[in-house]
Amino acid sequence: MSGAPGSNERSSPQVGSDPNTLIASLARDSVTLDLGTYHLCCLAGLHLRANRATIASFGDEEIVDLFEQVCDIVEPGADNPRKRATHAIQRLRDQRMLVRVDGAGVARAGEYAMTRLAAAVVESYLNDEVLTRESLTLLTRTLLAHLAEVKAAAARADSRQAWTDGVIGPLNVTIGELIHGIDRRRRGLDASQEQVQAEIAGLIKADWFRAVDEAQSLLDVTTATLHELNEVLLRDTHHFVALLQEVQDLAEAAGMREAQEACQQVIEHVDGIANWGDARQRTWSAYYQYVHRYLRDVVRLDPDRALSQRLRDQLAAWTRHPFHLRLARSPSLRLLRDVSARVDRPAVTRERAEREHPPVDVAIGSDEVDLEALVRRALGDGASTLAEVTSAVLAHVPVDQHFRSTGRVAALVARLARPSGERERPWVAVADAIEIEQWAIPAQGRRA
Amino acid sequence: MSAGFERLEDVVLDDLFPDVDLALRRGRHVGREDGLMYGFLNDAHDHLEPFYRRFGAELVHKSDGYFYLLPSSGGLGRGHLSAGEMLVGQAMALLYLDPDSLLHGGVVSRELVLQRLESLVGQEDLVRVLHPRLRKVDERVAAETVRTRFGRALRALADLGFVDLVGDDGLRLRPALMRFAEPVRSAGDPAQALALLVARGELELAAAEDAAVEEPEEDGEA
Repeated sequence: MSGAPGSNERSSPQVGSDPNTLIASLARDSVTLDLGTYHLCCLAGLHLRANRATIASFGDEEIVDLFEQVCDIVEPGADNPRKRATHAIQRLRDQRMLVRVDGAGVARAGEYAMTRLAAAVVESYLNDEVLTRESLTLLTRTLLAHLAEVKAAAARADSRQAWTDGVIGPLNVTIGELIHGIDRRRRGLDASQEQVQAEIAGLIKADWFRAVDEAQSLLDVTTATLHELNEVLLRDTHHFVALLQEVQDLAEAAGMREAQEACQQVIEHVDGIANWGDARQRTWSAYYQYVHRYLRDVVRLDPDRALSQRLRDQLAAWTRHPFHLRLARSPSLRLLRDVSARVDRPAVTRERAEREHPPVDVAIGSDEVDLEALVRRALGDGASTLAEVTSAVLAHVPVDQHFRSTGRVAALVARLARPSGERERPWVAVADAIEIEQWAIPAQGRRA
Repeated sequence: MSAGFERLEDVVLDDLFPDVDLALRRGRHVGREDGLMYGFLNDAHDHLEPFYRRFGAELVHKSDGYFYLLPSSGGLGRGHLSAGEMLVGQAMALLYLDPDSLLHGGVVSRELVLQRLESLVGQEDLVRVLHPRLRKVDERVAAETVRTRFGRALRALADLGFVDLVGDDGLRLRPALMRFAEPVRSAGDPAQALALLVARGELELAAAEDAAVEEPEEDGEA
């Protein structure tokens, strides 16, 4: 595995770590796995040789010889097998399948060992580990014995070291390995079930009626196996969980949080296995019923397999000679509404309204007379601009009338004097919130 | 006398009766896959057969493992499958007989049904039957229309208990599909078998041109 140097061992997923973090770290390390048939066969050759000779590592020359032999088998007549073997070593090292263990650099020929990853890959191809009643019983008994030991160790543990050596260590390593053993074989059983399904379909397809007994027997064997496995799982997982909970209680009493967590992890794994057994049993039961019915209703009743052909002909000709299946089709119950007399709905019309209001007499206020007098006085006092007149007048007018009065002052000035304006008239403030355009009032222009 | 019920009153008072009765009256085929409902019908069959006869309908129990109600007179509402439903139903019946369906316990993909249908009926006839009013359209529009009508037919057949919809793409084939194969079930003359089924009220014949003129005008379904 792995593209980034050292990423293989460093990034190995830890049970219980956050999956998102683990996946992100794998992506960060750009892990890849790219092996061809030849390289996998080379690894298989190494694995088999190591097992037979009980050796852990191989010399450089030994590996090259072995890979040459593999090349002769996989690709007989290939050019320069020795060169290919040398390249294969490099590729397997790049892929973290082989690791150099002598640490001697270029001083002498290397010594290589297979990595854990390489062993797992090869084992998945070579070992057909499937869960059987025997293997499961063996595993569960061993597991029970180890759990009993762990429980005893937890009961007498009186120090942190005792908890680590007697409980946490065995839970993480021994118990964990045994449970992974069940897990691995469980996947093997899943794969084998899929094969059985494909085999049954293939048998019926090839031999139809003659394959009924064989298919039935395959069905029965797998059903019996699953039934037995589920029985063992149901019985033993209950014991596992009971023992683990006892250990967890002891850990809680001793305040050993790490031991509690280790127990919890194992309990979750055990629950997962029990759920798997249950789910497989149900799925297989549905499949069994379907196939059993198919064999009985379809194959046995049509031993010559002529019905399919007749139905195919019927379908092809249906558009020329159509027919339709008849069936019951009662409408849903109807709920009747309450009886009500018919009401004539009035036509939609616009509301009529008098939009023209008659004029209203309003008494003329006395302020206008005052305004004229004030303007005259301001002009008489020598005001030379409209702003000066307006400011002088507004000083005597209530604030709420400033705006209206400003316009009237301008009108009065225009009438009483002869103001002149520049082309660009500046704006001048005459009150807090009012600005007006400036007019000049020449002295000779004042009529007042 | 049935094993489970002493009297018709017991059947009618059973908690399952309203659901089963409504399902049957709506044309559903109740099979072994329906679990309790099928068990109830098995137990109550002797009481329910005369019960429904009074409504002018026959409670049919097929050896393939399903019940359905077949109206014979005007007592109960009756209907028939549309042209599209007939084509899709026959294609699924063909797949039900195919040993390849054993690989996944009778679950097949919608795409497979449509492919089988197209290969046997032909694209042109399929478009004509599923959407008779469609004239002179391009291939993309025709394909989309066929998929829409096909989906609608599947949902109708699922409501009637011929198939179960599994996820977005899966279909679990049910033994009731064998009703579509009834005219060719025996090795004899299919025309004679068809006439017999028509006489028994199981089927209705339609003129060839009528086969394509009964789809309701509804669009906008995926």
